[in-house]
Amino acid sequence: MSFETTRSGNSGSNSKRSFNSISSNPSNKTSSSGAKNTKNDKKKKTNQKTLGMAWGANSSSSSRSAFRNSPFSDFGSYMVLKNKKLHEQFDAEASSSSQSGSSSGKSIFHGVSIFVDGYTVPSSQELRGCMLKYGGRFENYFSRHRVTHIICSNLPDSKIKNLRSFSGGLPVVKPTWVQDSVAANKLLSWIPYQLDQLASEINNQPKLSAFFPLKNSRDSDDVAPNVGNHVISETENSSLKGGTLMVANYPEHCESTEQVDLCGPEFNDILHEYQTEMMLEVPACSVGSHCELKGAELCDISTLDGMNTGFEPKSSSCQASASVCSGSLDGHNSKESSSSRISLASNQPNSTLAEPNFVENYFKSSRLHFIGTWRNRYRKRFPSSSNAFRYKSSCLNAHADCFFVAVVIKNRPELQDKPVAVCHSDSPRGTAEISSANYPARDYGIKAGMFVKDAKARCPHLVIVPYDFGAYEKVADQFYDILHKHCNKVQAVSCDEAFLDVTDSRVEDPQRLASVIRKEISDNTGCTASAGIAGNMLMARLATKTAKPDGQCYIPPEKVDDYLCALPVRALPGIGHVLAEKLKKRQIDTCRELRIISKESLQKDFGMKTGDMLWNYSRGIDNRLRWSDSEVRATSPREESKSIGAEVNWGVRFRNTNDTQHFLTNLCKEVSLRLQGCGVQGRSFTLKIKKRLSDAGEPVKYMGHGDCENLSHSITIPMATDEVDVLQRITTQLFGHFQIDVKDIRGMGLQVSKLESTDNGKLVHQRNSILSWLVSTSTKARDQEKVTSLTKCGDIVGKLNTDGDRGQLCSNHVGPYVRSDAGSSAGGSGISQDVILPPLHDLDVGVIESLPPDVIAEINDMYGGKLTSLISKYKSRTFDMNMSTTSVDSAEGVTAEEKKSHPSRLAQSNKISLDNKYGDEGTSVQPCSAPVSENISVMPSSLSQVDCSVLQQLPEELREDILGFLPAHRRLESLLDASLNPSENQTGSMQAVSSNELWVGNPPLWVDKFKVSCCGIMNIFAEMYYRSGCTCRLSSILQRLLSEKHVPLDVSTDEWDDAFSCLCELVKQYAELKIQTDIEEIYICIRLLRRLTERSKMFGLVCDGILPHLQASFGENYGGTLHVSSVQD
Amino acid sequence: MDRKDNQTPQGESARILVEFLEVAITSIVFLKGIYPSGAFERRRYMNLVVHKARHPELNEYIHSAVNGLLPFIQKGMVERVAVIFFKDDKVPIERFVFKLNVNQSYGAKVEQAALEFSLRSFLIKLPVSEPMTKVLPCKCRWEITAYFRSLPQTSTSQDSEMWIPTDTKQWQQLPVIMPIRSMSSEPLGLQLYLEHASLSEPNP
Repeated sequence: MSFETTRSGNSGSNSKRSFNSISSNPSNKTSSSGAKNTKNDKKKKTNQKTLGMAWGANSSSSSRSAFRNSPFSDFGSYMVLKNKKLHEQFDAEASSSSQSGSSSGKSIFHGVSIFVDGYTVPSSQELRGCMLKYGGRFENYFSRHRVTHIICSNLPDSKIKNLRSFSGGLPVVKPTWVQDSVAANKLLSWIPYQLDQLASEINNQPKLSAFFPLKNSRDSDDVAPNVGNHVISETENSSLKGGTLMVANYPEHCESTEQVDLCGPEFNDILHEYQTEMMLEVPACSVGSHCELKGAELCDISTLDGMNTGFEPKSSSCQASASVCSGSLDGHNSKESSSSRISLASNQPNSTLAEPNFVENYFKSSRLHFIGTWRNRYRKRFPSSSNAFRYKSSCLNAHADCFFVAVVIKNRPELQDKPVAVCHSDSPRGTAEISSANYPARDYGIKAGMFVKDAKARCPHLVIVPYDFGAYEKVADQFYDILHKHCNKVQAVSCDEAFLDVTDSRVEDPQRLASVIRKEISDNTGCTASAGIAGNMLMARLATKTAKPDGQCYIPPEKVDDYLCALPVRALPGIGHVLAEKLKKRQIDTCRELRIISKESLQKDFGMKTGDMLWNYSRGIDNRLRWSDSEVRATSPREESKSIGAEVNWGVRFRNTNDTQHFLTNLCKEVSLRLQGCGVQGRSFTLKIKKRLSDAGEPVKYMGHGDCENLSHSITIPMATDEVDVLQRITTQLFGHFQIDVKDIRGMGLQVSKLESTDNGKLVHQRNSILSWLVSTSTKARDQEKVTSLTKCGDIVGKLNTDGDRGQLCSNHVGPYVRSDAGSSAGGSGISQDVILPPLHDLDVGVIESLPPDVIAEINDMYGGKLTSLISKYKSRTFDMNMSTTSVDSAEGVTAEEKKSHPSRLAQSNKISLDNKYGDEGTSVQPCSAPVSENISVMPSSLSQVDCSVLQQLPEELREDILGFLPAHRRLESLLDASLNPSENQTGSMQAVSSNELWVGNPPLWVDKFKVSCCGIMNIFAEMYYRSGCTCRLSSILQRLLSEKHVPLDVSTDEWDDAFSCLCELVKQYAELKIQTDIEEIYICIRLLRRLTERSKMFGLVCDGILPHLQASFGENYGGTLHVSSVQD
Repeated sequence: MDRKDNQTPQGESARILVEFLEVAITSIVFLKGIYPSGAFERRRYMNLVVHKARHPELNEYIHSAVNGLLPFIQKGMVERVAVIFFKDDKVPIERFVFKLNVNQSYGAKVEQAALEFSLRSFLIKLPVSEPMTKVLPCKCRWEITAYFRSLPQTSTSQDSEMWIPTDTKQWQQLPVIMPIRSMSSEPLGLQLYLEHASLSEPNP
């Protein structure tokens, strides 16, 4: 801030601007500066006529007199001092706020200096606060040298018009940019936040800066992760604080705690060592860090429930001072019987109340979580495994037998034949739910989802075992290894179930394959699996059901009917309690009965989809490509999940908002990990809360959520994120929306949707840039930009070269293209952030064809499938071209002889060549196999320079392209020339015109026929076809005819009959062609024919001649007659 | 459900078409002057000045009628949509007929801009075809009638229940057709024409 700059800022034309801003921003000033300003304005009254002065005059300042004698020599020096003072104030505030505020260090606005112009929401003071807090600067007075961004919500017209003089070329941004940047915790690109008034103009001309991220934002990107890490470690520290404190109570262990790793296993071990002593000391108090240990986490505690209440009030001190865990709780390493475990109860249950790492542990021990995340693991393990496929003839369904139990008990032979169930806990209260039971247990009627106490009532000697997720993972991996070994088409359904397409398997007999696989699974994993083989997935699954346990079943196609007829409907997948009940009411128990009912009535009774499903399934028809029910979403590995989240509905109890905050932090961590695990980032965040109903007591299920009402709030931010601290801030904000007593919260979940792949962002950019290069048409851009963009393009090409196929593509195709077409700024259209696809016809097929197939597929998707057709069209075209040995005529000017010789030669040899004559620059012949779009620059300025006979021989599309590129006004004359060249070599001898294909082809058949006709009027018709731009619309031909007043339309009597019948036939066939789709056209044609009657009676007669026919077809198609009478002029 | 359907080309073109029909039908009603012109307000649609009914019920009638057709248009079941002006005796005076043809086999992406551009021409052509229309006597009424290729199954959608068989009479003679505008594109073909009673129609 030198004297010079300030001076210049206030001198000359600039001074007005800076004063404007002063006056429009009275709120910018702190009171003291306002006073000073007032003072000064007063003083300078005589020579400074500004608005600010008027404002200053009205405000009273007590300190006025003190300033009267101030030693400022002129206004400039005053402002220098003032600005200096303001900066000092700002700096002081910034440093004090960063010291006191918790959010220190997040200087996302580093290097940003804003100037607020006019009224904004939030107010300039709030923006100033943001800047203070996040390391930016706030300028009270505009200066081109200090300000980097101008913030305003609205601009007056005069400023819009003179934007440059107003903004000095600086970005003019809406205030939401600041807010969103704060929300996203990084400096966002200001481009999308540009003032609307300006954006419309500027969008047309995207800036390079949009394409290459701002330097500032990149800097802040670098900062952001660091900050993130910092925060993470901080929170981790704090979350562990409870744990460390506990240990710290025992001074002799202090050294060991220092060695404690942040994530607990070792920590636990240490705790275990001392567990016995502690239990002696504080027998009743323990905290559940044992939950770190797999399997045994969610122990029920009932005995000490009473004590709970007593301890609750001082629980905060409990947490700090008392109790390290009674670690032997973990059932999996202790072989204790369940009864002995009961004694190891704690007064601080496994709720969010006591356990710092509750969330983490919760998910570690959740079976559903295991299943849910299994898919991601599977995808990573077998990334190449194909996605959904249709089973042609043979499908094998492999399903491990009661997987969750079998894996746990495989090493415990003593349990092999006993009833065993897997469950979180085995407390005498028995309110835990069984998640899986083995076959002996199932014989007692024990099912998944049953409470332990109910199960025990049925089977008193039921053994309850905890989960062993490590073993599950291992076995599931082995299971899939075996499947993939035997079959390359494996469709995973779950960790224990898969479908195999064994249609073209090496092993002939699928039954033998099944037994081989089953044996291998049993040998390797120690668990048994069942297999079902049938024609489709449905039948295979049903067969597996029959085969279980440890068996296999084959349903050959001929036995499907018998099998199904006897099958109770309840056994079909997709039929649950409700549907089965409904069917039962209709006396439908088996598929046989179901089959009797028609599809329509099924659809009527059960809805379209369900009805359809029932009808199909009862017949053993399975049209699905893959399982569509949500249970097996995992099926198609390529299917991306729509949302990612985590929800905890068990053990959630809070005392105060701090607990909630802590819980949310952990939840955010979990969600963030999941997002990162899936490689995605999300933009929309939903916080779900289960709130205890006011009349609901403590739920039956221990620590369950009981009767709840579900609440949710969501928010969408502009930048996708997976960062913990951003998530945290968002969830805090969301949580603030709930007016809720934290004690009523029974469950919380955070869900992230609007997912964007982390790689995708880059991908889109790449795509964008490639596409922009594929665009053959050029957009005009300023020279400067052109140069820079081209160099940048070069850079990118170089960059892309490094990454494989795509890079190769660029160097091979794009590179040359960029060079050859240097006049166009190739980067132009790629710059804007939205992917704007270039029109299909602008794509250079030659380039596209050479792209690697996967890239083509991608682009094709973007064009909605039209690209492939374009390519195939192009291929057929080039095939034609290749047949011709392109003749190169480099003669100066095409002579008449040559013109004449061309058709014959071409007709004989089927050669196609296009002469492109370049006026004076000499003749150059473009080989047609070069993509037409590249020829723009070499196109002749008029079609007269093109040999029309050659043109006519060209395939239709190619000719259209060429004609399209010609300047319109030249088209007609040249075509006239062409058509006046009677080409004797045309093979079209006059045939009977009655064939129904007069309008087929391009040009339509009749053109050729009429051209060679000896009848004058017909020749004229053919001529008009070319003059009217080769359209297939009769109306435009007639229109043309009507406007060419000089063309004689008289018909001599000897030609009359011939011409009449030909024209009638022509119009009639045209009407037939158009009757379905375009009666407007017919109507216009009839009217034009009427008007042409003036010139020749022939047309009137033609009109009358076809009218009966026309009216008949109108009656047929529209139930009416065409209105013709009134237009007879 | 809506969202999913709109992803098909048919759904997409049906959606555009329904929106257009709503505007076009309102324009026709405005054009015929059956309500005072103050009952309409000027709006912009496809960059054209169009008119929108101010009266909420009129607006709602047109809106719900055409939107109720959406699922059927999508399936190609609707052949024609007619705006019929008739006198108290239920004998139609004038019928504006939209003949629809949604290409059921069209598989590529619908170019919304191109389609809207074509549809725009209808709205331009409509006001200039006013001289072709008949002057309506007072006390006229009007209705929107859809002609289905086949009757929709009753249970398929609740929307269909809003439709009732019309009791408007038919002309005894074949009507006279005056085309107003036609378009035929790949995803969607649309024709608008005017039907008047034939001259030989017995006058009641």
